[in-house]
Amino acid sequence: MAEKQKRVAFGALGIFIFLCIWYAATTFTSLGKVMPDPITVLAGFFTAFVEPIGTHSMIMHILVSLRRMLIPYFFGGVLGVLVGILMGWYKLADAILMPYIQMIRPIPPIAWIPLSIVWFGFDEGSKYFLIFLACFFTIALTTYNGVHSVDETLVRAARMLGAKDNQLFTSIVLPTTVPYIFSGLQVALGSAWATIVAAEMIRSSEGVGWIIISGQEVGNMTQIMVGIVAIALTGLLITSIMRGVESKLCAWTVRGK
Amino acid sequence: MRMDGERQVSTGTPLIEFRKVDKFFNKPEEGRYQVVGDLNIQVRENEFLVLFGPGQCGKSTILNMVAGFEMPTSGEVLCQGKPIEGPGPERGMVFQNTALFPWLTVMGNVEYGPKMRGVKKEERQAKAQHYIDLVGLQGFENSFPVKLSGGMQQRVGIARAYCNEPLVMLLDEPFGHLDAQTRYLMQDELTRIWQAEKRTVIFVTNNIEEAVYLADRILVLRNCPTGVKAEYEITLPRPRNYTDPEFLRLRREIDAVVDHTL
Amino acid sequence: MKEKKKIQINKYFFISILSICVGIFIWWLVTDGLGIFRSNALPSPVKVFESFIKKWYETKPDGATLLEHLIASLQVALGGYVIGAVIGIPLGIFMAWNDKVDMCVRPVFDLVRTIPGVAWTSVMVTLVGIGFLSKALVIFISAMVAMVINSYSGIKQTKTVHLWVGQTFGASNWELLTKIAIPSALPMIFTGLDVALGSAWTTLVAAELLASTKGLGFMIQQARGIFRLDIVIVGMIVIAITGAVLSTIIQWLGRKMIKGGRT
Repeated sequence: MAEKQKRVAFGALGIFIFLCIWYAATTFTSLGKVMPDPITVLAGFFTAFVEPIGTHSMIMHILVSLRRMLIPYFFGGVLGVLVGILMGWYKLADAILMPYIQMIRPIPPIAWIPLSIVWFGFDEGSKYFLIFLACFFTIALTTYNGVHSVDETLVRAARMLGAKDNQLFTSIVLPTTVPYIFSGLQVALGSAWATIVAAEMIRSSEGVGWIIISGQEVGNMTQIMVGIVAIALTGLLITSIMRGVESKLCAWTVRGK
Repeated sequence: MRMDGERQVSTGTPLIEFRKVDKFFNKPEEGRYQVVGDLNIQVRENEFLVLFGPGQCGKSTILNMVAGFEMPTSGEVLCQGKPIEGPGPERGMVFQNTALFPWLTVMGNVEYGPKMRGVKKEERQAKAQHYIDLVGLQGFENSFPVKLSGGMQQRVGIARAYCNEPLVMLLDEPFGHLDAQTRYLMQDELTRIWQAEKRTVIFVTNNIEEAVYLADRILVLRNCPTGVKAEYEITLPRPRNYTDPEFLRLRREIDAVVDHTL
Repeated sequence: MKEKKKIQINKYFFISILSICVGIFIWWLVTDGLGIFRSNALPSPVKVFESFIKKWYETKPDGATLLEHLIASLQVALGGYVIGAVIGIPLGIFMAWNDKVDMCVRPVFDLVRTIPGVAWTSVMVTLVGIGFLSKALVIFISAMVAMVINSYSGIKQTKTVHLWVGQTFGASNWELLTKIAIPSALPMIFTGLDVALGSAWTTLVAAELLASTKGLGFMIQQARGIFRLDIVIVGMIVIAITGAVLSTIIQWLGRKMIKGGRT
């Protein structure tokens, strides 16, 4: 317990020192001409919850960005897991599909933006397409690796205990794959978040990415920083939720800190 | 199958039999090499048979052939007179690295066999509970393997195999990864469990004291290609004593016979 | 036994090749063959291939050849990347080695790392304008974050028993760090270099889509504007291949420099 409290104390100290340095840098040096101090930024951030930036309040911007990310993330995840399992279990599916996955995955999702705009226009469809891509390939591949990572000895033990092929699949292969699926989901989440911010910066009329780009267009650094704070906090929120879910589902594994 | 107290070792048809078994393996770099040569073994019902030999000499392969994970290259491996065609719960195995299913609790692991055969929940959990109690893990039914010590994990492995009431129990150096103290404790535990519910046991080890401590009969195996070099009947009463003069005499005699390799 | 396995591998290999060929054929079929898609929606594979060859020496329509764009992108990416590594690796090592620094800096770092590199583009552009510096700074930040994370993990994973061995030989704190912790962290540091490269490359493309006058991202953004989707696809392919090649180079370097295996 003392250890944890120590950590929290030092952590709070660290954040405080960081804010002080920021404040000092903007107040006492020429940095203050171009960069607002932390108090202005935080004030701007909280004000935005009541006073809208553009057409939406801060909470609406965040929700819009999350919605744009989470819907395709869900579909990309489900489809990715299904395809990954299919490819991992059936060599034929592996041979047919893997070359496409290996070729398309290296293309950064962001590079798809121009094509997605041509195909789906400027609104939600192109963003859903983009995030779906960002998630699908990563999750499919990690799921595939999970299926392949099944411990041979466990398979032997299951057969010894009388499991038939389909029972083997559901009771051994699937549980082994779960940590891999989760790791894929986490990586995909980070990638999806980065992609949605970029997509919003390139073309949208609301969302956390839009806050930043519209601030840039009028040279309003405070607004830009407010957007960055929003992105950081939202990102922190979703990764924390992810870690919480993982620790519940994967309680049986020996995972590091 | 009924549970009796002390069952007699039968002298009728052997439960498990190896007839003129050869086993060759194919390694990509080394080509074809022989692991087992002209092996002839008869395992009697209810006996505690120990296969003892130096490390890496094919002992596990012999066990794997009884389990059905490997097939003989030539010759026959029979169970109750019929050739063994694959793994099955009537030949229960306890693995050296436990091979417990980490996402299942102790109860989940032990009841796995009956569950696969479609036994109803109350019935199979009652049976699993019986074996969890037998191995001394009452109270740990809902623990995950990762939270258990090595010795406890092996007990789960034993309970898991026992729960299917197998004809024969196969133990492949089950205590090899345990520290010395736990190892001694587990040897006592295994003897106790086996005496409470007698089964035919084939136990593989490279530890000479363990062999003499546990066995009714010891088959001393030679190095690759392996075969039976010598056979010893151990009639000392259980529980045995490591420092007993007769124990030590047997130990010395067997030690002199076995191949020593670095 | 050996022969059988070889033939089996070949069978699936051919299926893969066949799959790709069928895919390309279907692509051609829906574009040139049956005309289901026009070239401003989906260009045919033939057109893409042609443009790929031509763009190496043609400066139309965006003012530079493919090679010039590629070099411009590589310059920025590698520039920011190298500086990110030079600062990020020692920073990560220092954070992991020193407990007090770790506890103070970690929370700040955890907050900053959730910010995608591309978000910093607006900050940099407002501060220093469009151009090499703003992009390089953005790349620097995203590469540095990845380096710090992996170097930090690498040092944190140092086996205590190895440190104890060093201490019994009378090693100083500095020697423990340089002779034991860092060498054992090398595999993770190289993983960090690989991840950071991917991150840098992706962020670069994003930055070029937003605020650039040359580079591969700029090239595909321009091409979209005039509906030259063949150039867009050429750009995407070159981006993918370059990223893969760079990653392979890092991995190869890693294997060369890390002697022995990791237990």
